[in-house]
Amino acid sequence: MNGKRLSLLFFAAFFTLSLSPSASAIPAFSRRYGTSCTTCHSDFPKLNDFGKAFKDAGFKFPKDDESFLKQPPTLLGAPAQAELWPHTVFPGSIPGQLPVGLRYNTYYQQISANRSNFNQVLPAGTVGNFIPKSDFQPGYFSIFTAGNFGTGISFWVDDDLSVAGANANGSLGDAYLKFHDIGHFLKLPTDSLNLRVGEFELDLPFSQARNLNLSGWDIFSEANVGIQNGLGPAQNVNNGAAMENGANGVEFSGGHAYQGYHYSFAVFDQNTTGVAISPANVGPQNGVAFNSDANFKDMYGRLAYRFNLEKDAASRNEVQAAGTAGPRDHTFLALGTFYFYGRTATPFSGVLADGVTPTSLTAREPFYRIGGDVNFNYRTLNVYGMYMAAHDRNELPVTAPGATGITSFAPSAPVTFSGGFAQADYLALPWAMTIMRWDQVKSSADRINFIQYDPTAPPGSSFFSPYSATRNRFTPGEQFLIHANIKASIEYQIMPQQIVYNPATGSVITGPFRTNALVVGLEFVY
Amino acid sequence: MKTNVLVTFIVTAALSTAAFAGTIRGKVSGVSGESVVYVEGVAGKTFPAPTAHITIDQKGLMFIPHVTAVAQGTTVEFLNSDSVAHNVFWPSISGNKKLGHNLGTWPQGQRKSFKFDDPGIVSLLCNVHPEMAAYVIVSPTPYFVVTDKSGAYKIDNVPDGAYTVTAWHEGAKNKSNPVKVAGDTSADFTLSK
Repeated sequence: MNGKRLSLLFFAAFFTLSLSPSASAIPAFSRRYGTSCTTCHSDFPKLNDFGKAFKDAGFKFPKDDESFLKQPPTLLGAPAQAELWPHTVFPGSIPGQLPVGLRYNTYYQQISANRSNFNQVLPAGTVGNFIPKSDFQPGYFSIFTAGNFGTGISFWVDDDLSVAGANANGSLGDAYLKFHDIGHFLKLPTDSLNLRVGEFELDLPFSQARNLNLSGWDIFSEANVGIQNGLGPAQNVNNGAAMENGANGVEFSGGHAYQGYHYSFAVFDQNTTGVAISPANVGPQNGVAFNSDANFKDMYGRLAYRFNLEKDAASRNEVQAAGTAGPRDHTFLALGTFYFYGRTATPFSGVLADGVTPTSLTAREPFYRIGGDVNFNYRTLNVYGMYMAAHDRNELPVTAPGATGITSFAPSAPVTFSGGFAQADYLALPWAMTIMRWDQVKSSADRINFIQYDPTAPPGSSFFSPYSATRNRFTPGEQFLIHANIKASIEYQIMPQQIVYNPATGSVITGPFRTNALVVGLEFVY
Repeated sequence: MKTNVLVTFIVTAALSTAAFAGTIRGKVSGVSGESVVYVEGVAGKTFPAPTAHITIDQKGLMFIPHVTAVAQGTTVEFLNSDSVAHNVFWPSISGNKKLGHNLGTWPQGQRKSFKFDDPGIVSLLCNVHPEMAAYVIVSPTPYFVVTDKSGAYKIDNVPDGAYTVTAWHEGAKNKSNPVKVAGDTSADFTLSK
């Protein structure tokens, strides 16, 4: 990966921070139950305790769901047909009206004066990249459909139909079927075993896809890419698997998000390049491309426990706490941990042991991500955060004496990064949320990658770099619900320090400086 | 002595008036659905609080019934028939925020009661389900009625006399008209939003 590409990636990330794709509230449920968004969301898409229970139950009310329906389901078979099974198709139902919701958002950004510092390395007279001081941006137009099929099977599909105003330029988000409480076939406790199949966001401690911020948490979008540029330890890692990436596979889970234990274990496609391979002479039907990079399947597991801290034992075990002025979210402390294990498979052109015969070699580099999280809620104040460490085995290419190319790989010092975030959400009023947030990513590889000083092969374009291996971002914000389905958000991103190097000499031209951004968003769902 | 005679005269006159009970009937138009018609308070006259309790249910994320009329001093029991937690509160009574009240939270199958001693319009709300709403119209007299859906109404046993009669409808402006009751009396109202 050369400096130009890295620079472009960095800028792309920089200017799309406010456009991190996220699924949102589901207006179809409002229609189905005749209830407000705030029944399930404190500040959409953030779920309150009832929303968590609703989701856990398979997008249903945890008890007596039928009594709340304002749109009766369409039966796909009388319930009594169940007695005839297996001599009939098992009866189910579909939502009485098509459960579709739509979402659109639009943004305005104000970028600080340092936005074009990297152009200083261009020769005089060269036209540089123009970064506007202010900019209005169309966001996402997305479609959501979700619900249940009546017999403990729920579904969710969301897709971004348009991104940045371009038609059909988005992508599929989550798209899965979930089979709830399949453990009852094995006489396991209620809700102790569920199965989810399809494409889904990993069971992260805090959902990146459904976080309420305008910009996603940095640590969840961090990939591990280390190159060999002579400024630091040699690295040969090209792992594009960020925690926020969608997974294709199966997931077993159990417990509840609003009380007690919760676990999940997923097995899914290994894909660290982000490139789907098109079918050649074999492949899935209907011309669908493969998703896997390798035969190996990645694995992700999570275990968490939430302690509801209400004094009243009866209230403690309810979905919502019984407050003196009405039901509310519990005062709780939740602790969790997670572990991701995968393996990159990076092909290289090389030669056989004879040193001359061309061949293909693959660097197979196991990696893991491990972390912990904490979540504390008191009334309308929610403080939460997580920290994780990443570790990739680093297989350096080896060229045998006399060989004309790579002949093998040898392990070297692993490529690591770490980081996390801490955030406080204070619902000052039912329609006003104040947010303070700190993101941190420590990656020596990121810093070195962007310097890429090599006197013998200077990069062909200008670039700038993180000033330090540790990147801190502070993001205060405020959000206002204009209605339960319309939200105005504002956040000020105090960005990590950056620096501009001379690509030819490696000397510092400018820095350190910050390219802070004020981002305003307006979104609605309907 | 003169005072005693005067009081006796007034009481006798009032009782004799009460002896001739009439009916107010009519129609509330300009709006659709149920309205409430009630006789405003009569100066110097009080009425005993009803002993019977009225129940308002919370079921399927709705208050049932949506409109309830009660006499001043009536105790209303709020039942939660849903399997989800509910709340009942009202921010004011006829705009008087000092009379706002929050009954808290209670589980399925249980009730909480409140005695409405202050007449006026009570907007019932639930703080976790903002789409839920209902109205209790606390009449200062026992002469009130909830109309049928066409707006037609009849209030029986109103003593003959001169009164102010008020019609209320959700989202419409109240309208109060002077009505002289003498036997079967007609009083129509046209409300607007």
